[in-house]
Amino acid sequence: MPTVEFEGNTFNIDEDGFIDDFNNWSEAWVRHVKTTEGIEELTDEHWKVIKVLQDYYKKNGIAPMVRILSKVTGFKLKYIYELFPSGPGKGACKMAGLPKPTGCV
Amino acid sequence: MPENSNHISEQPVNVEKIKQILDVNNGARVRTWLNICASCGLCAESCFFYLAKDKDPKVSPAYKFKTTLGEMYKKKGNVDREFLKKCYDILWGECTTCKRCSMYCPFGIDIATMISTARTVCWSQGVFPEGLARTLTNYRETGNQMGTSKEDFIETCEWMAEEFEDEIKGITIPIDRPGAKYMYTVNPREPVYYPQDLGMAAQIFTVAGEDWTMPSSGWDCTNLPMFAGDRALAGEVVRRMYDKALELGAEKILITECGHAYRSAAFEGPYLAGYPDGKPPIEIVHSVQLLYQYLRDGRISIDPDKRIEEPVTYQDPCNVSRNGGLWEEGRKIIEYLAKDFRDMSPNREHNHCCGGGGGFIPMGSEFKSRRMVSGKIKAEQIKATGAKIVITPCHNCFDQITDLNEEYDLGVKVSSLKEIICEQMIIPDHLKPE
Repeated sequence: MPTVEFEGNTFNIDEDGFIDDFNNWSEAWVRHVKTTEGIEELTDEHWKVIKVLQDYYKKNGIAPMVRILSKVTGFKLKYIYELFPSGPGKGACKMAGLPKPTGCV
Repeated sequence: MPENSNHISEQPVNVEKIKQILDVNNGARVRTWLNICASCGLCAESCFFYLAKDKDPKVSPAYKFKTTLGEMYKKKGNVDREFLKKCYDILWGECTTCKRCSMYCPFGIDIATMISTARTVCWSQGVFPEGLARTLTNYRETGNQMGTSKEDFIETCEWMAEEFEDEIKGITIPIDRPGAKYMYTVNPREPVYYPQDLGMAAQIFTVAGEDWTMPSSGWDCTNLPMFAGDRALAGEVVRRMYDKALELGAEKILITECGHAYRSAAFEGPYLAGYPDGKPPIEIVHSVQLLYQYLRDGRISIDPDKRIEEPVTYQDPCNVSRNGGLWEEGRKIIEYLAKDFRDMSPNREHNHCCGGGGGFIPMGSEFKSRRMVSGKIKAEQIKATGAKIVITPCHNCFDQITDLNEEYDLGVKVSSLKEIICEQMIIPDHLKPE
């Protein structure tokens, strides 16, 4: 399994660059993904999205659909894309330590 | 394949079941194909896996079907699990069933169909990719590959209509409207991860004055069981869509910008769903056909000042172009949208698969690096055009080329047709928000 070194941490990742195990997530992981996702500065809004994704994942075992993410955070779709340019399914889930979503995505 | 794949059953091989598949699935036809292959090698040069791996004879299509399905017939189904595991890597890791070799075979041997049959044999013994297995559970339990509930789907449609009110006055996404001309079906990635795709489709249909609806069930036109080898479930999935359209009295089923959904709905689905004449019970239309008609007939007009100046190329999805016969529509649409169109070579029905088809993208991370290796041919084709924008009416082509863009530093933007049409279309005065 490939690994990535960042700020003295070693993360195991899958071939798509998602963290191998949600339990190994840490804030350093978020800072690592930020560098590859074209995000200049992490704001409270980013953290809010990450938290909502993680809470939903802990409860349901899958990522929420974007509608639920928007409803719970109160962010409009366009704003979510401003926060995560590669989209909520890929960039935001990757940062939150969720596995790559299932299916054609 | 990975040693510790826990989804892969370690049960003894059920030889009787394999025999049934080999005999029922047009056994006579396949045996004829196996007998008439003259090992001429023409299929090899047609295969992008072969070309991308420095012409390794072990990835030539003839080698692939002989060492998998050919062996299964030779041994009359009496194979062991080790053999099936070897097949796994060939059937899913070295073939996208793009059918280019089937077209180039001088004897008309449909190699892709043989690979699909061998996939069914492996699936019957629990040997198939875990990424696909997860979607199969979702299809079975919820009717769609991502496990989305009816309520969440409908709510997403309503939400998108609301969000796009700023762009188009009175925009709606009708649900289960009886007697519509088009029942619009989509890939679950749209409502789940890219809801703007639904919003864009609704904008275009509203401006075109279309008589359309989305169904509350049977809205998933994808068919990953078809690529996993689960023919019974593949039939059920496509039948749900047909039945819903018949129930609503829709005139036609419209397929989103997805390649394999068209192959499923229009060509393989009828057989899978039990229509022996091979004809779907209702007319199937792909988005490229309808979008082209809108532009041709003036139902959608493009703002000439917004046409793209940068060079643009078009990725023919195998299941829209080669296997669907719809290679001119996309090009005609792009004539309206872009000033500098540069075709890849080869193109149209001869185009190479992007390397993301046949289930490759949903097969997941386990196959990512193989996708990048075999995608070399596509990356080179794109690079040679000098294009800055790649347009493709297929989600798997979209994702694969997006990944290739990063891997091979192509410097392109990948786009669907509807995204660009929405950017450029003229909104008539009566639909402009006040």
